[in-house]
Amino acid sequence: MHEAIVIGAGLSGLMGALALAEAGLRPLVLAKGHGATHWASGTIDLWGKDERSPRDALRSIVTARPEHPYALIGVDAVADALARFRAVTEAARYPYVGGMDHSVLLPTAAGALRPVALLPITMAAGDVRAGGEMVIAGFHELRDFYPPLAAANLAAQGIAARGVYLQLPPVPRVRDFGPRTLAQLFDDPAFRKQIGRQLRQQRGSATRIGLPAVLGVRDPLGVVADLQLLSGAQVFEIPTLPPSVPGIRLFNVLRAAIERSGGRLQIGSEVIRAEGVGHILTTLCSEAAAREQQHRVRRVLLATGGIAGGGIRTNDAGLVRETALDLPVRMDVNHAGWFAPRFLDPGGHAIYAAGVAADDRLRPLGVDGWPVYENVAVAGATLAGADTLRERSRTGVAIATGWAAGRMLAAYGCDATRSY
Amino acid sequence: MRTLTTDVLVIGGGATGAGVLRDLALRGIRCALVEKGDLTHGTTGRYHGLLHSGGRYVVKDPQSAEECARENEILRRIMPHCIEDTGGLFVVTPADDESYADRFVAACRRTGVWVEEIAVSAALRREPLLNPRISRAFAVRDGAADSFLATHANTDDARRYGAQVLTYHVVNGLERVGDRIIGAVCEDLRSGEMVRIHCAAIINATGAWAGKIAALAGLQVSVVAGKGTMVAMNHRIVNTVINRCKMPDDGDIIVPIHTVAVLGTTDIYVPDPDVYSITPEEIRLILDEGEHLIPGVRRMRALRAWAGVRPLYREEDATHDRDIPRTYRLLDHEVRDGVAGMVSIVGGKWTTYRLMAEETVDVVAHRLGVTTPCRTAELRIEASAQPAAPLRPAISHGSAARARFAILASPFYMLGHRLAEVEADDSYGDLVCECELVTREQLEAAIESEGTANLDDLRRDTRLGMGPCQGGFCTYRAAAIWHERRSARYGQAAGAAPATRLLTHFLQERWKGLTPTLWGDQLRQARLDELIYLETLAVDRLPEAIPDETIVTGHAAIATEAG
Repeated sequence: MHEAIVIGAGLSGLMGALALAEAGLRPLVLAKGHGATHWASGTIDLWGKDERSPRDALRSIVTARPEHPYALIGVDAVADALARFRAVTEAARYPYVGGMDHSVLLPTAAGALRPVALLPITMAAGDVRAGGEMVIAGFHELRDFYPPLAAANLAAQGIAARGVYLQLPPVPRVRDFGPRTLAQLFDDPAFRKQIGRQLRQQRGSATRIGLPAVLGVRDPLGVVADLQLLSGAQVFEIPTLPPSVPGIRLFNVLRAAIERSGGRLQIGSEVIRAEGVGHILTTLCSEAAAREQQHRVRRVLLATGGIAGGGIRTNDAGLVRETALDLPVRMDVNHAGWFAPRFLDPGGHAIYAAGVAADDRLRPLGVDGWPVYENVAVAGATLAGADTLRERSRTGVAIATGWAAGRMLAAYGCDATRSY
Repeated sequence: MRTLTTDVLVIGGGATGAGVLRDLALRGIRCALVEKGDLTHGTTGRYHGLLHSGGRYVVKDPQSAEECARENEILRRIMPHCIEDTGGLFVVTPADDESYADRFVAACRRTGVWVEEIAVSAALRREPLLNPRISRAFAVRDGAADSFLATHANTDDARRYGAQVLTYHVVNGLERVGDRIIGAVCEDLRSGEMVRIHCAAIINATGAWAGKIAALAGLQVSVVAGKGTMVAMNHRIVNTVINRCKMPDDGDIIVPIHTVAVLGTTDIYVPDPDVYSITPEEIRLILDEGEHLIPGVRRMRALRAWAGVRPLYREEDATHDRDIPRTYRLLDHEVRDGVAGMVSIVGGKWTTYRLMAEETVDVVAHRLGVTTPCRTAELRIEASAQPAAPLRPAISHGSAARARFAILASPFYMLGHRLAEVEADDSYGDLVCECELVTREQLEAAIESEGTANLDDLRRDTRLGMGPCQGGFCTYRAAAIWHERRSARYGQAAGAAPATRLLTHFLQERWKGLTPTLWGDQLRQARLDELIYLETLAVDRLPEAIPDETIVTGHAAIATEAG
């Protein structure tokens, strides 16, 4: 019998597993594969739909949109999750900076300015409001990052920026220079020494240098420190096309923290079915290597993601399904209304708000409005009620609801009162 | 206003126009072609890619069948690099009338369409996903044709003989003096400049738009625009063209082309070739019918849907589009309407484009007093295009391999050779579009090639963005590389606004075709693409793009697939 199983190893699942592990429940994380950590930028975005501070935006959401994931858990729970997240990353010597009081504007690889609440310290010098001329530097060999375009767009917004390409030092023949490959090269001190020297030559009057977010997997702070020393300028990372090196680092940090507290991750196991007695889920069935496995379990955290993560799935007949536990899905718009005519429509596409409705303890709700299972909590993109990508709240919702779900599940069975 | 003089002006940059241009040029006739968009912007770039064996028309339209059978062999000979010899099968499914098969075979014999019945077990061995309940199977000489490549091959060859090609030139008026058409007035959509073209003859090769062009000279040409919708699956679910053995109808064919397989088609009359949309009912019908050929096809991953408009010429009232003969008609307006100086070539299909060109040019050449015979059936089209000089030394090595695949240094491609080059060259790291194996070198050459105005044009040249991720990874890369090429050309850092426009335009072009079949894994993919462009790159927050006249993205004259 497992005390707790977490389904999904994205940000929300990992934060939930951390809460359960720290409560001594030795959670098992079952995941079909890696989550969006490996695809996205590695920052924590609380709110970016308008220019309000995250704290102000969240406060108004709690009253104005009671079904929004933020509203389910409240602003204090979000702050609590952020505090824990910062502490964990700091302890792992990969600290995140920032908070709820204002968003930092970071340059993207296209040269846009993106509002971010928490960012790895390796990106901190990119804060455009800090001022100072920038050099954006990259490599011809890396097809996922283009300094001239980023610099031209920054310049168009009044930010002094110049794009340059660096010479890749001779390296063992590599076929595919993706972000991961380059990050591994940066782990080598001799490699970054050569890059640092080039940066010094290229820097001119610039006070800071933006590089693709490939500055090492093992010791990014060490890489940044070396490059700053050699170049004489502040150095910061800019997220690239996937795979995301900062995301991989973050996954590694959280995984290590979970395992230190007694949790365990099993990637490659897809939960395909659940069995229960009344309103209690008792058994999960997972599939790995075409073999089915049954897990008796006391508490379950569902964090399989939304449409992108595969937790919510659609078909040609317009059906929308939750894939692991077959929970009811809230989708207010029929098939014909799923999409807006413009891909970049500011209002987004209705289908992406589909998800599992939950109560204030994040328990999944049935069509009758009552919890389907008392011992299940839902977190992250699986939750209904918001297109978090358009709000730029995706990762904020993930860590906040993941942490809150884990905490509330840990308390399940300990409290004297029952809900019904 | 600029003025240009030529002997023959060809209107329309699809398969027919390009074929006509090459035919004229080979006969030594001075000629120019105008196209309102990019080459293959119209129906040629929106069809499934079938090289007809003729089998499809043997019963219903024997003349078309005969023409297809003959032209099929000629095209295989003159442009082998544009054609994949997939072979074809006609299969009798449980839903089909069994008596049709014997009529089919007899009609093949009558029309000279090669056919051979093969055992059902042999058909299933060849195509394992085929419905195991088929009762008979017939092999034919269907193939898959790359209509983008073939059109470019024709115009490139014509250029070698002195022809001119003007893309993004829309014809706004025909100049008529009495009973004679003496030229056309075009607008260059990129500069806004008007261009007057004087000529001795005009060939209207605008397909479904032929009526609109004829109307500019006060002539009436009744072209029925028959919308055909197709669905591309994300891999080659078959390697042979599969047809239902029955009277041609909706959703009865699957064509494997390059990396995908295309299910087709529907046939719905649309009053205006520029205004049509794809309905959910059409998609349902195509997938329902597809189930008869490949059980389970609706659970496979569909990439996107699109539609083209068939140029069917209506001579008298036909009750249904499929009843209009698929053969072509040459309308000599001097004989038909008493107005000299223009002919219209209407109807037909891709497979017969060369024959249509030959007949058209025969008439026009005769009028001009040129007696040189047509040579397009004999002269092979050489597969070459001048690549642009690389911006920087290629990262990859292995120029010997490139020499072996000379075509690959061009922005164009040949089936199967792309992977061969990438492997021989060890150039995996230089791929801009992983789905379709487009290298940076190919993309840069295409950017530099004449007439390229946006990323969708690059797509037609290189297949950029046509694979499973539908531009998710390559749109940013291509826009950035375009920006760098432009900076290199002008010797200083270029502004970023054009790149922003290219990027958002291409994402939107891809989106239009995605939505009709967006569910399951393809919806996951679309959401990942949103994550890349909205979260990681935040392109919605880029400074407002300033209109750039050299990038044509939204002109009303070339906007199609409305609604």
